[in-house]
Amino acid sequence: MTWLLPISLGTLGVVALAAGVLVVIAYVLKMRRRRFEVPFSSLWKRVLEQRDANTLWKQLRRLLSLALLLSIVALTFVAIMAPTLGVTDRRARNVVVLLDTSASMRATDGDPERPTLTRFERARERTVELIDSMGGGDQAMIMRVDSQATPLSRFASDKPLLRKVLDAVQPADTAADLPRALSAAADALRGRANPMIVIVSDGAYSELQLGQASWGAAPPTAAPTAAAPLASAPTVDDPDAASRKAFADTQLATVDLSGIDVRYLGVGARADNVGIIAFNVRRYIANKAAFEAFVEVQNFGAEPAKRRLELRNGNGETGTLIESLPIELGPGERLRRRVANLSGSESQLHATLEPVDGPGGSDVFALDDEAWALLPAQKKQWALLVTADNLYLEGAMQMYDNIEYDKLEPAAYDADPTAAARNPHTNQPYDVVVFNNHTPAIIPPPPSNLVWFHPDGPSSPFAIRSVLPRPRVTETAEEHPVMRWVTLSDVNFDAANVFAIDRDKGDAPLVFSVRDAIAVARRDGERKLLAFGWSLDGTDLMLRVAFPLLLVNSLDWFAGDDADLLTTYATGTRLRIPLDGITGLTEVTIVDPLGRRAQAPVVDGVATFVSNRVGVHQILAYPATRRGVAPDPKAEPIASLQVATNLGSPIESRIAPAPTLTLGGQSLEAPPVFAVSARRDLWLYLVLLVVALLCVEWITYHRRITV
Amino acid sequence: MGLLAKKNPVAATSGAARAADRSKLFDDRFLRTLEHLHLVSRKVFAGNLRAERRTRKVGSGIEFADHRTYSRGDDFRYIDWNLYGRLDRLLLRLFEEEEDLHIYILIDCSDSMAIGNPPKMHYAMKVGAALSYVGLANLDRVSILPFSQKVLGRLPPARGKNRIFRVFEFLRAVEIGGTTDLAEAAKIFVGQNKRRGLAVVISDFYDPKGFEEGINTLRYNKFEPFVLQVYDQKEAAPNLHGDLALVDCETGELREVTVSKSLLEAYTREHEKYCKELEDFCTSRAVPFFRTHTGIPFDELVLRIFRSGGFLR
Repeated sequence: MTWLLPISLGTLGVVALAAGVLVVIAYVLKMRRRRFEVPFSSLWKRVLEQRDANTLWKQLRRLLSLALLLSIVALTFVAIMAPTLGVTDRRARNVVVLLDTSASMRATDGDPERPTLTRFERARERTVELIDSMGGGDQAMIMRVDSQATPLSRFASDKPLLRKVLDAVQPADTAADLPRALSAAADALRGRANPMIVIVSDGAYSELQLGQASWGAAPPTAAPTAAAPLASAPTVDDPDAASRKAFADTQLATVDLSGIDVRYLGVGARADNVGIIAFNVRRYIANKAAFEAFVEVQNFGAEPAKRRLELRNGNGETGTLIESLPIELGPGERLRRRVANLSGSESQLHATLEPVDGPGGSDVFALDDEAWALLPAQKKQWALLVTADNLYLEGAMQMYDNIEYDKLEPAAYDADPTAAARNPHTNQPYDVVVFNNHTPAIIPPPPSNLVWFHPDGPSSPFAIRSVLPRPRVTETAEEHPVMRWVTLSDVNFDAANVFAIDRDKGDAPLVFSVRDAIAVARRDGERKLLAFGWSLDGTDLMLRVAFPLLLVNSLDWFAGDDADLLTTYATGTRLRIPLDGITGLTEVTIVDPLGRRAQAPVVDGVATFVSNRVGVHQILAYPATRRGVAPDPKAEPIASLQVATNLGSPIESRIAPAPTLTLGGQSLEAPPVFAVSARRDLWLYLVLLVVALLCVEWITYHRRITV
Repeated sequence: MGLLAKKNPVAATSGAARAADRSKLFDDRFLRTLEHLHLVSRKVFAGNLRAERRTRKVGSGIEFADHRTYSRGDDFRYIDWNLYGRLDRLLLRLFEEEEDLHIYILIDCSDSMAIGNPPKMHYAMKVGAALSYVGLANLDRVSILPFSQKVLGRLPPARGKNRIFRVFEFLRAVEIGGTTDLAEAAKIFVGQNKRRGLAVVISDFYDPKGFEEGINTLRYNKFEPFVLQVYDQKEAAPNLHGDLALVDCETGELREVTVSKSLLEAYTREHEKYCKELEDFCTSRAVPFFRTHTGIPFDELVLRIFRSGGFLR
C-alpha cells in the first residue's frame, strides 16, 4: 500500500490528534448524567443487581461506543492520506500535455481519409490515445496552447475526467505562444518525479519560438565576452553590444527544460495555403466619402496558387461587391495590393480569398481566407462660428465636406448665450462652437466641443499666465491628433497668450514657444476644449496650409475620427480600445463574432480585452453597473463601437506540418509507451466504511445498545 | 449519533413544594363529597348497620360469643352449668364486650409521598379524611397519626361528624418529611395507643427496611391493620431514557444508570413484583389490602373499600 499524502503528514497528524482529543472530550461530556429524583431507589438497585451479570458487557459497550467514534475519525484521516493498493511504479510519469489550439489547427487535413477532420480533432484523438495508454501511476495535466497557456486540469490519473476535459476544448483563432506554454508546463512539473511534456501540435511555430528553449547545456549562439555586461546599451565604441543585447533578450525569454523529457506528437498533412496576412482601410483626408484599402496576400505553399480576391462593403455574402481581383502567386510569393478610390455606404469591409477551379485553386485552411476592416465613422458636424466676419475662417470651414456651419456675431451670442444649445437645423446642440477673439462669460453646455482663438480675460477657459510678444513656435505636440502633420515653425504671430497648464485637469499643451504653451487642449468630461493663444487677426497662419489642416484635425478629434485609427487588430493580442467621449464606465460588454458576451474592464477610458475570434467585435457601453455584474442584454447601450480582428499571422498561415520538431536545438521524439501498473485508490472505500460506521453508531445509540 | 443526541427534556421531579401546599386540599366540595360517601355507605350496608359497632374483644357484654375452659380465678357466675352436667367439664361462657371502636388512620408523610402529580401525600390525606369522616359519622373514635421514621403527631381520638374540621386542620398543619420506617413508627404507635382498634395504614410502603415488620407489629399488638398502598403511575412506569443519576428522595442515595427500554421493562416488572409481595403478605395474614394509584379519584377508592367490607361492618 502506498500513501499519496495530499496533505503533509505533520499537518495531518496534528489535525488527527486534535480530532481524537475532541472526540474523547465529547465522549466525556456525553457521560455527564442528568439527575432524576426517584421515590425508592431500592427498586432500581434490585433491578440493577439482576443485571450485574452483564456489567462487563456494559462497560465494554461504552468502550465500544468510544472505539467506534475513534475509529470513524481514524478512518477519515486514513482516507485523507489517500492510500492506494498496488505496486508503486517508480517509473510513473508526470505528464503535461500541451494541446495546440492555435488557428493553424483548424486546417482540415487531420486525416487524409477523413477530409473534414481538422488537425485539432486529430490532435484530440491522439491525446485521448495518449491518455488511455497511461499506466496506473502516471498523472497528466492538459494545457491548451494558443496565445495564452491555459491549464485545463490538475495532475490526474482519472482518465474519464481527462477525456471529459478534452471533449470541451475548442481551437482558438490565434497564434500559438509555445515558449509561454513550455514555461508554464515546466513550472507545473517542477519538483515532480519523471517529468514529461508532450506537445500535440502541427508544429507550425516560428524558428524564434522553437529556439527559446534550453536543455541545461550551453546555448548554440556565441556567448558574449565575459567582461561586458549582457544588457548594456550598444555604443559606437562597442560594435558587439547589439549582438550581446539580442543574446541577453533571448536568454531572458529562454525556457529551461533541463531534466524534462519533451516529446512531440505531430498532426497535419498538407502545406499549401494562401492567406490574407494584412488588411486595412482608411478614408482620404480630403474626401472622407472615399477610402482606400490595403491587402497583403501570401502563398505559403511550395506550388503556384491562384485565387480571386474579393472586397465587399458590408458583411459576408450580403455585402456589396466593390472589387474582385484574380491573383496568381508563385511559391512563397507575397502580394501587396492597394485598392484606391473605393466608396460605399457601410462602414465594414470584408476581404475574401475565393477558391478557383484548377490545381492550386484552394487550400485546407479557411481561417486566413477572409479578413475584416472597419472604416472610421463618417460623421457630419455642425459648427457655430462666434466671430466677426472672417473669410479665412469660413473658407477653411467650407473646405471640409462633413462640416456645416452657422455664424453668429459675438454681441448676438452675448445677448442669447443659449443659442449654441440649439441648432435650428437639427434641433440639437451644435457639435462645435468656435469663439474667435471673443471670450464669453457663459459658454455652451456639453456636449458641444469648444474652440477659442485668443481667449482673454477672466472668462478664459484656460488660465492665462502672460502675453508673449512675437512668439516663435519652437515645438508642437506631434503625437496629439490636433497637431498631426501641422507645421507652425514658420508662422508669424503678433502676440500670443501663454496658458498656465493644469495637469490635474488633463490639460495637454499643443504648441510651445520655448517653454511657454500657447495652445492647449483638454478633455472636459464628454466634450473637448481647444484654445489657441493667438488671434486670427494678428497672424499669417490663415495663409498657410497648416490652418485648414489644423481645423480639420481639430474637427476630426472632436468627432473621434482619427485618420490613423487602426481598426484592424490581430487575434490573440491584448486590445486596448479607447472609448472616446464615454466617461464614468468601469466595464463594457464585448460581443464576439459568435455572439458570445463577456465583460471587459475600462481603465482611464480604455477598454482592454483579448480577442480569440476572427471577425467583428461589438463593444457595447451600458449605463454603469456594479463591477462584475453583467448588464441586462436587452437594455439599450449608451454607445457602441466595432473592432475588427483578423488572424494576420504569417506564422499561423504557414501551416506546413512538422513531422519532427526541433526545440532548442534538440529533436523531439514521439512519446514512449507508458508502463502499465495497476493501482487502486482506497479512499472511496474508506469513506463508505466511515458512512457505514456512522450508521451503526447512530442505530446503536438510538436503539440504546451502546449507551 | 450519540454525540449529537438531543438532551431528553425529562427533568428531575421534586414534589416537596407542591406537597407542602395543602391550603386548598379540603374545601367545601371535598366536604360535600364526604357527605355523599357517608350516605352511600349507609345505603350499602343498611342491613347490618347499627350506628355503633363493637370490637371483637370478649368481655362483659350480653351477647354470647364463645366458651372457654375454666381456669382458676374465673368468675363462677359465668360457668355454664348445663354443659358441666352433660360433659362433666367446667366451661366458662364468654360474651362480646360492647365498647367504642377506635380507628387509627396512619398516614405516611415521608419524602417519597411528596412525589407525584398530584403528590401521593395529598391523595393519602384525602382518603384518610374521607375514612375519618365516615368513622366520625358512625360515632367511632377516630384518631389520625402521620408518620415517617417516627410518629410525627397525633390527633386525639374524637367522634361525631362535627369533629371533621379538626381533622382538616390537623392534616393541613402536619409537618412532612423524613424517611419511611414503618417498623419504628408502628412500635411507637402501639406504645402510645393502648386501646386496640382498626389501624388504617396509608402509605406507598417504599420502606428500605421492609414493610413486614411494621404490619406485624400492629398485628401482634392486637390492632387490626388495614393496608392502603398509594403509588403514582409514573413510579410504576417511568418515562426515562439515557444516562441518568437517580437520586433517592429520602436517603439521597445516588445511583448512576443508563436507562434503556429493557431496563425500564425490568423496573416495571420489579415494581409490580414489590406491590404483589405486599399484597400477598397482607392477604396471607387476613389483612385487608387495597392498592391504588393517584389517577383514581379518592372517592371511588373509598367506595371500593366500603364494598369490599372490612372497614364498615
